[in-house]
Amino acid sequence: MNNAMIKRTTKRTEYWIFLVLIIMCVAIQIASGGQLLESSTVVTILRSMVVDGMFAMVCLIVMVSGGFDLSFPAVAALAYSLSTTICVNMGWSETNAWAGFIMAIVIGAVLGMLNGWIISNFKLNTMIVTLATQTLFIGISMGLLELKEITSKLPLGFRTFGESYLFEVKSSAGLRSTMTTMFIPFVIICIITSLVLNRTMFGRALYAIGGNETSAERAGYNVKRVKFWLYVAVGATCGFIGMVRVCMARQSIPKALVGQEMTIIPAVILGGASIFGGEGTVFGTICAVGIITVVSNSMLLIGIDSYWQDFFNGIVILVGVTVSAIQAKRRNK
Amino acid sequence: MQAKFKEYSNKNRYSVMLFGLMILLLMFFSVTKGETLWSLGTWNGIFIQFPEYGIMTLGVMFCFIIGNIDMSFVALGDFACIMAVRYMAGHVTEDMATGQVVGVILIALLIAIAIGVIGGIINGVLVAYLNIPPVMATIAMQLVWLGLSTALTKGYAVTGVPALYTEIGHTMLFGFLPVPLLIFLIIFLFSLFLLKFTTYGKRLYMTGTNLKAAKFSAINTKAMIISTFILCDVIACIGCMIMVSTMNSAKADYGTSYVMRVILILVLAGVLPDGGMGKIFNVLLSIVAIQIIASGVNMFSQLNSYYASLIWGGLLIIVLILSTKMNGTGIKLFKLKKQKM
Amino acid sequence: MSEYLLEMTEICKSFAGVPALEHVNFKVRSGKVMCLAGENGCGKSTLVKIISGVYSKDEGEVVFEGKPIAKITPAEATKLGIQVIYQDLSIFPNLTVMENLAINSEITAGKKLVNRRQWEATAKEALSKIGYHIDLHAKMGELSVADKQLVAICRALLFDAKLIIMDEPTTALTKKEVDALFKTVCQLRDSGIAIMFISHKTEEIFEISDDVCIMRNGKNVYAGPTSELTPKDFTYYMTGRELTDDHFVAKNISKEPVLKVEHLSLKNKFEDVSFELRKGEILGITGLLGSGRTELALSLFGLERPKKGTITLNGKQVKITSPIMAQKLKIGYVPEDRLTEGLCLQQSIADNITLSSLKRLSNSFGLLKHQDIIDDASIWKEKFSIATNDVNKFASTLSGGNQQKIVLSKWLSNDLDVLILNGPTVGVDVGAKQDIHALVHQLANDGLAVIIISDDLSEVVINCSRVVVMKEGKIVGEMTGDKISEDNILEIIR
Repeated sequence: MNNAMIKRTTKRTEYWIFLVLIIMCVAIQIASGGQLLESSTVVTILRSMVVDGMFAMVCLIVMVSGGFDLSFPAVAALAYSLSTTICVNMGWSETNAWAGFIMAIVIGAVLGMLNGWIISNFKLNTMIVTLATQTLFIGISMGLLELKEITSKLPLGFRTFGESYLFEVKSSAGLRSTMTTMFIPFVIICIITSLVLNRTMFGRALYAIGGNETSAERAGYNVKRVKFWLYVAVGATCGFIGMVRVCMARQSIPKALVGQEMTIIPAVILGGASIFGGEGTVFGTICAVGIITVVSNSMLLIGIDSYWQDFFNGIVILVGVTVSAIQAKRRNK
Repeated sequence: MQAKFKEYSNKNRYSVMLFGLMILLLMFFSVTKGETLWSLGTWNGIFIQFPEYGIMTLGVMFCFIIGNIDMSFVALGDFACIMAVRYMAGHVTEDMATGQVVGVILIALLIAIAIGVIGGIINGVLVAYLNIPPVMATIAMQLVWLGLSTALTKGYAVTGVPALYTEIGHTMLFGFLPVPLLIFLIIFLFSLFLLKFTTYGKRLYMTGTNLKAAKFSAINTKAMIISTFILCDVIACIGCMIMVSTMNSAKADYGTSYVMRVILILVLAGVLPDGGMGKIFNVLLSIVAIQIIASGVNMFSQLNSYYASLIWGGLLIIVLILSTKMNGTGIKLFKLKKQKM
Repeated sequence: MSEYLLEMTEICKSFAGVPALEHVNFKVRSGKVMCLAGENGCGKSTLVKIISGVYSKDEGEVVFEGKPIAKITPAEATKLGIQVIYQDLSIFPNLTVMENLAINSEITAGKKLVNRRQWEATAKEALSKIGYHIDLHAKMGELSVADKQLVAICRALLFDAKLIIMDEPTTALTKKEVDALFKTVCQLRDSGIAIMFISHKTEEIFEISDDVCIMRNGKNVYAGPTSELTPKDFTYYMTGRELTDDHFVAKNISKEPVLKVEHLSLKNKFEDVSFELRKGEILGITGLLGSGRTELALSLFGLERPKKGTITLNGKQVKITSPIMAQKLKIGYVPEDRLTEGLCLQQSIADNITLSSLKRLSNSFGLLKHQDIIDDASIWKEKFSIATNDVNKFASTLSGGNQQKIVLSKWLSNDLDVLILNGPTVGVDVGAKQDIHALVHQLANDGLAVIIISDDLSEVVINCSRVVVMKEGKIVGEMTGDKISEDNILEIIR
């Protein structure tokens, strides 16, 4: 029995991803002469995981259901830029900053409804639908509403929230690094995603639909409804994540997230999610995002020009998908 | 007569739809901006602008027909251009004779095409031999090429394009035919020929419809897949080289928005990444329709260019929903397919 | 209360004016196994869907436990105690056994949260119903078909099922697994559950069923106890015609073998297989699922690569590494699964027929001769009487039998020495079946060497001049001429 459990664990993708993460950290730690695990570096890396990590959760939950969402950066961008613009125009600066969050969440949910409505009612390829809505949302935010960049006029509430931090660490070389408060929402979103996926019938429905949609329907799930609410929830979460990003960057740029899907989706796939649905875990996804962030952030430490960042990320992902494809091939035999 | 039209429209729903769309668009813009629309300048603009991504669309079309998708073509094209421009910048000197400059340009073009071939082979091997789903393989390759370009250029644009080369992008042959349009037409006719009149085209459609059946019918499906990626990426590199002549430089992230635009055009034309479907004439119609929207939006001074994006997205949603209402070859084909090789 | 659990009387159902079921009557008794038999497309699955509430009937009466049921939804059918185990088993390959067992009842109970302990208890309870043991945390997709089936049965039992409908459960099972399944079925029957068993295999039906209902073209042609039926009657009812003993007689067999296979082995699939094939004969290779028959065929077509042994064609030793090479060596292969391996459904009939002979239908530059393609396809359309008025129509517009004719023509339009047919008439209606058989006979007499791979014994007996029987990867018997009979083959297979 114990043996069987070990066997099962080693079969799981997230186990290998975790191993890779650890080995990579150790290797970089040695190559950089102990700089990687300096408290300040660790905090910096964790901080830069926040936004990507949260987006990865959103992406994961869609992929589990067998979907492929290209529109989430556009949803987030439209939600936060519209919401901050309203806040600025209303003259809310300090006291009503939370209203911005609520507005962004509501806007995100509404945009998600459009996705959900089309996908659940017409049974179309989700990738193509979200490509269409992505184009539409970009058009709305930058064409129809002509939302502008907001930097210096950003409500003070957002700014102070973004600048707040949990604790501060100092490295041996005297480098200071602060852990942003935004880390808390990141942890909360990860926990919620994990709970939803594993401990609710809704989450099990997503796995079931991703595994076999017809069977899910026969088992008694209302697949249409599940899909609809999935995209609404995803939209709302994207709105929230967008606001977190605005606070952290202390600026709201409608264009900022364009193309972000192309770096987040591969990370989620690296973490064990399948584009055919039904696979993927929160732990694996976090590890994969961790790998990508560590690669990006530690290149300078080991003396590689940071311009090589995309290249190495690409290689890591390429190796990841190749290994999982070879594994799948072997399993089919 | 009516019955004949009905039969034709049943068979060619997308063509009829796209024609209708085009007429509607032209009518709308004629009414609102008639004078600007029917001016030489507008149409010149249309014919100069669309070849860039139009060429790329034709390339990606091959991938779609065989049931794959390529997300890496722009990044690869940019990389090829960076290498080509670097070569040109390094070898062209002020005092060179025109003939020599032409020689250097030709070698640079060959470099770009060679890189396209290499990129296509890599994509093809990843998909055909390692069985990686094409979306995943090409997204990863997109990052690799983008990363290589960024690392080589440190994110700056590479300049030093010979003046002669830049001229190509702006020359009107015989006073009315822009060179990019000519190249587009050549590639269009080549693709048309390949798809309609050769065994290759027939095998392409059949393999896209059912890869396994094609394999059982003694078709070398792996070679087919690799060849489509090579075609796609070489054509994309040519498209990017035209971009170089209009931009007068090459950069790691030029034209990244074209990836999504190309997919949008193809889906609008009824060429779906599920494979086996689509007609090249519809792709042509779709390209022109998309460009008319962009140019049309440009005619309204109070609208910014993102309005085009709004219309494209809305249009695609409507077309997608309509396509589910078309019976026969409609909806079922839209689902992501799980195919084991 | 009557002795019958389910009574169906005068059931009619039509789709868009086309009748699918016409006045169907049958009864199911508790604690008995009832077989619903019929060829493909006879309305079996429509009938099942009416019982399970997916479709509603147009006319007739359904009585369950003595109470007439007017109209039911799938959920209500479950509540009544009707469970359907579909052919695809409706399982989730990505979830664990435990989750697969428990998820349905949890959804039915309207739960919102997941209680792992509760799930595990439910799963254990389900397994205990038939005393079946399996690792609860194993992934469903990694189990064998037989295990998946037992899990599906356990899951059905959780709902206090009174009637379990099993849709073609033996299709993908080996003989051993079928025996194990039948044991479970008997166990369920003895506990008082009514089983409705859908099948078209004669032996199975006689082995397991108490009652039988045979359907043909949407009508039931026989309903009653199995014991009152002979196998011959059964075949008559199934096909609607007397079995014609139109055996194939080889007229001109060549002296030299065209194909010679010696000591061919493929790891875990088959071992030390040797046989000869001459022009003009039809060789049958038969055996149960998992006997290695399909892999052997794929090896001759270049899709599997045997490590040991030799293949000799026309006296020359060859290595077949791809279908392209097989085609060059004049070997053709009609695959087992028409829809996934044989046809491009959403392409025209003409394109499908000419797919593997495009080289002949183009000039030396690879330019297509469009008219030749149409002409070529039309020739086959005539020769095979493919039921279509236009070869430019999609292959998906045809019936199974006509589709199979397309796949055959695809290879016959090549110049062939050897033709391998794997399950040539699976899912093909009787008329088309005879057309195909007749053509194969003629081809053999014209000098083609044909291999028929099939587990349909009657087909093998009628068509083959020589039969090789495979079992667990080895050739266990060979017979020729009068020795070929279903009984003789069965004796070896068992």
